[in-house]
Amino acid sequence: MTMRVGIDFGTSNSGVAVKRGDQVYLLPIDQRNVQPEVVKTILYITRDHKYTIGQEAVELYYKQNINRLRHYVKKWVGEMDYYGGDMHYVRDLYAYVDELKPGRLMQFLKSALRSGSYPGTQVFDRYYTKMDIIKVYLGALKKRAEALLGEKIEAVTLGRPVKFSNDPEQDHRAQETLQQAAHEAGFRQVDFELEPVAAALYYEMTLDHPQNVLIFDFGGGTLDIAIMRLGDSRDRKVFASGGIGVAGSDFDRTIIQKRLLQHFGFGWITHNPDIQELINAVSDWSVLPELSTPQARLKLEQAILERKVPARIKALEALIFNDLAFSFYNQVESTKIALSSVGTAVIRLDEKDLDLWELYTRFQFEKDIREYREQIEKVVLDTVIASGLEPEQIEAVVKTGGSSNVPVFSEMLAKLFGPQRVKFSDVFNSVTAGLAIKAQGRQG
Amino acid sequence: MINPEKIDEWIREVEERPGSAAVIIRYIANRLRELVERNEELLSENIELRTGRKVEEFESRIANLQYQVDLLKRQLGGEAVPEPAEFSGEFVMGTKEDMAKTVPIETTSLLVYNTFGQVLRVEMDSDKLESRQPVGIFSGEIVLKHPDTGLLSPVPRLLATSSQEELLFVFDSGRTVTHPVSAIPTGTAEALGWQGAYSEEPRGEEELATILPVARMSMYEFCVQVSRRGCVKKIKEASFETHIARGYIGTGIQSAPDKTCCLAFCGSDDLLVLVSKEGFLVTEEVGRLPYTIEEVLRLGITDHIVTAFTIGKKPSLLVVTHNGKALQKEAGWLDPAVTFKTRGQTIIPKERREAGVRVVGAGAVAETDWGFALRSDGKLVAYTVGDLFNRGSLFSGEQVEILGFTTL
Repeated sequence: MTMRVGIDFGTSNSGVAVKRGDQVYLLPIDQRNVQPEVVKTILYITRDHKYTIGQEAVELYYKQNINRLRHYVKKWVGEMDYYGGDMHYVRDLYAYVDELKPGRLMQFLKSALRSGSYPGTQVFDRYYTKMDIIKVYLGALKKRAEALLGEKIEAVTLGRPVKFSNDPEQDHRAQETLQQAAHEAGFRQVDFELEPVAAALYYEMTLDHPQNVLIFDFGGGTLDIAIMRLGDSRDRKVFASGGIGVAGSDFDRTIIQKRLLQHFGFGWITHNPDIQELINAVSDWSVLPELSTPQARLKLEQAILERKVPARIKALEALIFNDLAFSFYNQVESTKIALSSVGTAVIRLDEKDLDLWELYTRFQFEKDIREYREQIEKVVLDTVIASGLEPEQIEAVVKTGGSSNVPVFSEMLAKLFGPQRVKFSDVFNSVTAGLAIKAQGRQG
Repeated sequence: MINPEKIDEWIREVEERPGSAAVIIRYIANRLRELVERNEELLSENIELRTGRKVEEFESRIANLQYQVDLLKRQLGGEAVPEPAEFSGEFVMGTKEDMAKTVPIETTSLLVYNTFGQVLRVEMDSDKLESRQPVGIFSGEIVLKHPDTGLLSPVPRLLATSSQEELLFVFDSGRTVTHPVSAIPTGTAEALGWQGAYSEEPRGEEELATILPVARMSMYEFCVQVSRRGCVKKIKEASFETHIARGYIGTGIQSAPDKTCCLAFCGSDDLLVLVSKEGFLVTEEVGRLPYTIEEVLRLGITDHIVTAFTIGKKPSLLVVTHNGKALQKEAGWLDPAVTFKTRGQTIIPKERREAGVRVVGAGAVAETDWGFALRSDGKLVAYTVGDLFNRGSLFSGEQVEILGFTTL
């Protein structure tokens, strides 16, 4: 019999589950993680192209990168065509590359699928397309799962958001890329299920009578909504589905932009586009690690000598050149998570030349993401309208995904549907478990 | 960066969730405490800057660095690398012989010195040394009489070191002088005599107490000054450099007639070993040693310290007696003292001590190290430590006495 598993390839976290009989088993895929059934969607590729994922990747990254030597060399990276009037000329492009960089850490791999403009990246001497990156990650997940199950996994049911992109063509391409990556990772059979539907299947296991259910799957990368009839497997029905490309990582970026950039000179530095560009790049996780070039250091040192808010520029320099990007984003994310249970938290990073302290309250957080809240409320209401049901006909609202714990969204759902109808599902594992249920169903 | 808008937001938070008030106050109070501490540090630094103390500190650091550069220059066998001159000729490929002329060859020097400040140097090619073979012979008197008092000086002391080293001459008055080894002329190995010795004359009634190689002192944290009566004083390396620059390190004694006898560079985790003439030994953890002069080894009235050294990573301890015995102890045998003024451990059994056996030298060693002995027949003889461990004796049937011993 072909071994089938369900894999939730999430923006921040992933998971693998298998269903045997009536029981769903979530595999302890990351033994080093606090919650072993959840593995961070993080990939670390070393210079000799060895791969690690999850907590192991994070630990190796820290071990190899903190206080290491750097040596930048100028390398040709390509050429650019210039057209103007009757002129056309080609210019060589060079980049400063750190020769001693031991590896490359990659986060938010799934976001690459949403982007039509991100073809891939050069990792040392090899070019990795986004399909290659995802293939490597899924391959590592498969290997770990096989080691735990003791048998070869041939087939997988992968979760996918309701919409990778609002552009149907891009959405189709994203699924194709994910499918191809899974095949290349060694899965012979690959099929998909919408993530909110998978979460619904898991919730369905707890039902003793049919219900109209709204699944509110709010993770790190997207919000996915599905309104379904659940409780009787012969009479399952999807009334409507919807979604928006807003989620946890957007909140993190907003916190950085509205609260933290000023610590690095934002609003203080004017008439210096180079420095302004560096400051603005802080909010982009994918760019910050690449900023540590000799030119950037030169510009920052120059600004410090010119006494342009030198303490803040020194802090920016420390953030960029001391490999603090990962700690910085982790701090922001953990503060955001903390605000789901407490009213006040502090974003703190105390390293060499960087003393970041920002008292942040839930009131401020809700104020900062108000615009997103309004967009999300609109998407929920639009989906309900598309389902043809009245809000009072929805008997349960099931929240899943890390961001669904943010109180402002719980309150929003309670206001729209009534507090007694809002149910909690397993925040991280309900999609994974649902995908395993689906996988077994395909087997049947 | 607390602005009115932010304070308003915090107040709104407290209005919505009163429980947040206590948390906010606690966070802000903790932050204030941190900032006050930092402010205190900055104010102190500012005072130092305004009073010029910081400038002095940096000047002192620059002076120390300059000193290190000078040492390196001497070690490299010349002055600083010359500025590139304007090139006006052709490049010529050098031969191996040319290279040999320009690259200094690592040689070893054996120094014999007495309290009158006289120093003899024998240069040896490390590759050509053979165990139990003489490297030099005295042709005249080994022990001299004081020209004024007519008293015999103590037996000369030995020091084996690299010929590229920098030497610190320490007088019992606390005065110091530095000279590179190369500044001391080499004597005729077959006919050594004090009449042709290099002389660093003592001033007044002072005596030359010890000579110490110092080129690597910046690699250590402390220098420990040891007196003949078992007193020690620890000096931080940075202060020590300043003292050397000023030519005075202190007498290192509590009261006369005690005298400084040796110095040792060490790290804070090192073990310092003091060995006495009558065969007592004390081991002290350097971290525990005082910055003021303290007696660490209680010696008998006729006894005094012969040598002091750190164990470092050496596996064994070698002790040489005047009758030519080479005693070996494992480093693990050393028992660090828990108090000062102890009697220490004994190396020579009581019966033999009472029979007049005395220690003439000791050191932390590995089997591949070399030892050098000055014998009463005037011969300076080289030994491999492995050879001494195997035979247990420096003699091969001769009826002489060992006057001094040192290790490399």
